[in-house]
Amino acid sequence: MTVNYGGGGSGKGRTDLASGTVQFAGSDSPIPSDEASSFAGKPTVLYFPVIVGPITVSYNLSGVTKPLQLTPTVIANIFQGKIKKWNDPAIASLNSGVKLPSTAITIARRSDSSGTTANFSLFLEDSTKAWKLGSSSTINWPASSRGGDGNGGVAQIVKSTPGAVGYVDYADAKASGLSFASVQNASGKYIAPSTTAASAAAAGAKVASNLTFAAVWSGDATAYPITYQSWDLVFAKQKSANDVKMLKAYLGYLLGPGQQLLPSLSYAPLPANIDQQAKAQLSKITS
Amino acid sequence: MAATTGQSVDLREPPSWRRSKNRIATILMVISFVLVIIPLGFVLFTVIAKGISIISWQFLTADIPPNVLPASIGGMGPAVVGTLEITALATVLAVPLGVLGAIYLNEYGGNRLLARLIGFFSDVMTGVPSIVMGLFIFTIWVLHFGYSGLAGALALGCLMLPIVIRSTYEMLRLVPDPLREASYALGASKARVTVTVVLPTALGGIVSGALLAIARAAGETAPLLFTILTVTTVNRNVFSGANTSLPSQIFANASSPYVGAQARGWGAALTLIALAFILMVAARLVTARFARNLQ
Amino acid sequence: MTTKADPAGPAGSARQLSERRPLGDITFQAVALAAGLLVLVILVLIAVSTSQQASSWFSSEGIKIFSSTWNPTNNQFGALPFIYGTAVTAIIALVIAVPVSVGVALLLTEVVPRRWARPIVYVIDLLAVVPSVVWGLWGILVFAPWIQHYYASVSSGVKGIPVLDSLFGGQTSGASFFTAGIILAFMITPIVTSLSREVIATVPAIDREGAYALGATRLEMINGAVWPHSQAGVVGAVLLGLGRAMGETIAVALVIGSSATITPHLFAPGYNMPAVIANEFGEATGLFRAALIGMGVLLFAFTIIINVIARVIVERSGRRQRGA
Repeated sequence: MTVNYGGGGSGKGRTDLASGTVQFAGSDSPIPSDEASSFAGKPTVLYFPVIVGPITVSYNLSGVTKPLQLTPTVIANIFQGKIKKWNDPAIASLNSGVKLPSTAITIARRSDSSGTTANFSLFLEDSTKAWKLGSSSTINWPASSRGGDGNGGVAQIVKSTPGAVGYVDYADAKASGLSFASVQNASGKYIAPSTTAASAAAAGAKVASNLTFAAVWSGDATAYPITYQSWDLVFAKQKSANDVKMLKAYLGYLLGPGQQLLPSLSYAPLPANIDQQAKAQLSKITS
Repeated sequence: MAATTGQSVDLREPPSWRRSKNRIATILMVISFVLVIIPLGFVLFTVIAKGISIISWQFLTADIPPNVLPASIGGMGPAVVGTLEITALATVLAVPLGVLGAIYLNEYGGNRLLARLIGFFSDVMTGVPSIVMGLFIFTIWVLHFGYSGLAGALALGCLMLPIVIRSTYEMLRLVPDPLREASYALGASKARVTVTVVLPTALGGIVSGALLAIARAAGETAPLLFTILTVTTVNRNVFSGANTSLPSQIFANASSPYVGAQARGWGAALTLIALAFILMVAARLVTARFARNLQ
Repeated sequence: MTTKADPAGPAGSARQLSERRPLGDITFQAVALAAGLLVLVILVLIAVSTSQQASSWFSSEGIKIFSSTWNPTNNQFGALPFIYGTAVTAIIALVIAVPVSVGVALLLTEVVPRRWARPIVYVIDLLAVVPSVVWGLWGILVFAPWIQHYYASVSSGVKGIPVLDSLFGGQTSGASFFTAGIILAFMITPIVTSLSREVIATVPAIDREGAYALGATRLEMINGAVWPHSQAGVVGAVLLGLGRAMGETIAVALVIGSSATITPHLFAPGYNMPAVIANEFGEATGLFRAALIGMGVLLFAFTIIINVIARVIVERSGRRQRGA
């Protein structure tokens, strides 16, 4: 069986699923209301959660060796352009003992429609009143921010620009060698991004009957607050019995043995209860 | 004409300030040339320096690995295949049509309004941005028939068509009229004269022009963006299914933070430049040989 | 198909060599005509099909398509930031490329002996053959990080100075309007140079020699004999460079910074029409996609108009020479 994975953000995935170009689409957020029309008249979309993962707040500060500690409010103000320099008192007060340079902050964010953006902005919306830009796959970022294509694009901007800060998927941030912040969670603790902290966050999320949920800003004191989840979307009704067999085999692998591989790829496996429900949903794929 | 004051003035020598202005102007012109060489040198040097270490037979044939993997793993095989097959298809579509169009302009069109319009707008068409060609093929082809190497070839073909028309036209104009007239005198029809006398005489120049158009098309990315749906697996069927190409992969890898992906990008860039360079040199060789033939 | 002269006919009579054009000949001409017409057909099809796809954007926004608010989340698709970016990067490119190109063209036609001209022309052609995506790769991975330091120095240097601060001050970024303009300048130099050269070369030798005979220096000869003749043509060449600069996509998409804002700060990240289409088309649906295609229509219209004007100017200046 050949599985062909084309690149693109969550928005593109959903578009391609709706148009029939692809048979399964990865998406970090449920189908938003303004895209619902492209799925009208099509078979039901089944959401199969497959991974959970942290979104880091990565930065490029050569002199700073210990991870910075940031609260949601400070993050919101950084990404809205209200905090312009790294040695701003708001950041310094959270990080006593760290020598912060006076470098200007360059915001790096996604230029494409992205589930990472959707989850990052959802985190900010849920966690602090200071965030005014809403939550969506595309945000009206401040004028001086730089756009990057994909998590890799944002990681590249952060890596090559001293003073840059951006939100990057944990796997990409680690593979690019970026430094990232420890973020304060709902229990008040500063947690560094890690696969265990991400699983802790997902364990505390409320799961809907169609298996959608939001892991941001949830979980216990050990949870990393900017945790996202990803689903593979498939239509419940497939064109052929062979397609059904292939999809069930592929998804079954992801939900079964595949879960063990995730930590080595810097993603977190699903909490047991969610995994069970997803496996049970496989029977809903028919031809 | 000597001055009557007793001082001798050499009228051939301009006064020093005019000479200085002249010298400054010459220096500025030379500086302009240096300003052109510098970025060219930088780009070529960087591409060669960063690309040469990764180029190998494996690089040109192996599959494209995930971006995060280091440079020693995998290669750009699917992209090489894609570029070769898509550009070849575009050539097959555009060159015959371009040559025929030029034949109409030079042999049949004469000074008629239609011919002048076609010639004029063919030149204008060379200025249409390549991304517009991509959008065009997207709207009339991809929306109905899906992504494919063929769609990409159509977009590239639209790009190549006016270039081939112009270069072929210039070559046909160079063929001396007496050659044609002699054939007409023997009773041959215009079509026959064109195919058996004019084209063979101009062939060298036509080939050379076509090679340059191919070099241009092989390096284009924008027309392929919306027509081939860049994937990373090899697709030997250029007529159906998504595809990839060297420029598409370079574009994707350029935004990547991973050293391995960037290295593969440089390697692909070197491959692309080498390909374009070979085509350019081939075009010059053909022109040189053609000029000798005409003498 | 040769028809022998009828030996029975009176010598010297006018006789058609063939009464009727053979079918093959007519077919060939028709095919050639069709191929030529393809150019016009394609141009018309481009205009029609893309406008049709973009019609939902044109109709829903009306005059607002020229507003400065671009916010896909709120379904606001004002194109002004991108039109602004296209204009700014093109102007920067022209300001840098035109003096350099004209300088090189003059160097080739007036200064350099014919033997040396060939290698110089090869260098220019080599510059032209570098693909856009390679310029972009080099631009974003090598050039932008390097030039960012200079931007930062200039920006802190002009702080407070009235006009310079608005243009060169503020927050700087390697990926910005100015970087895109510089890379565009590299890319349009070959076309402006080669066309200027063609135009300058049509100046009659007699005018040049006349000027020299009167004792003019080379600069004076250029000002007096070359420039008046080739002015219009060079303007045409510059316009063609402008058209090319406006439409160049991939290199710009990689180095412009992807930020849809209207700001006078040239060292800030920006966006322009071809770049936003290239970067965001894949994800766009519905009105968003129509807006992007609509910008493609605008781009098509602008470049066609500029190219038509340029070609008319070049052709007219050429015709004046030939008539003279």
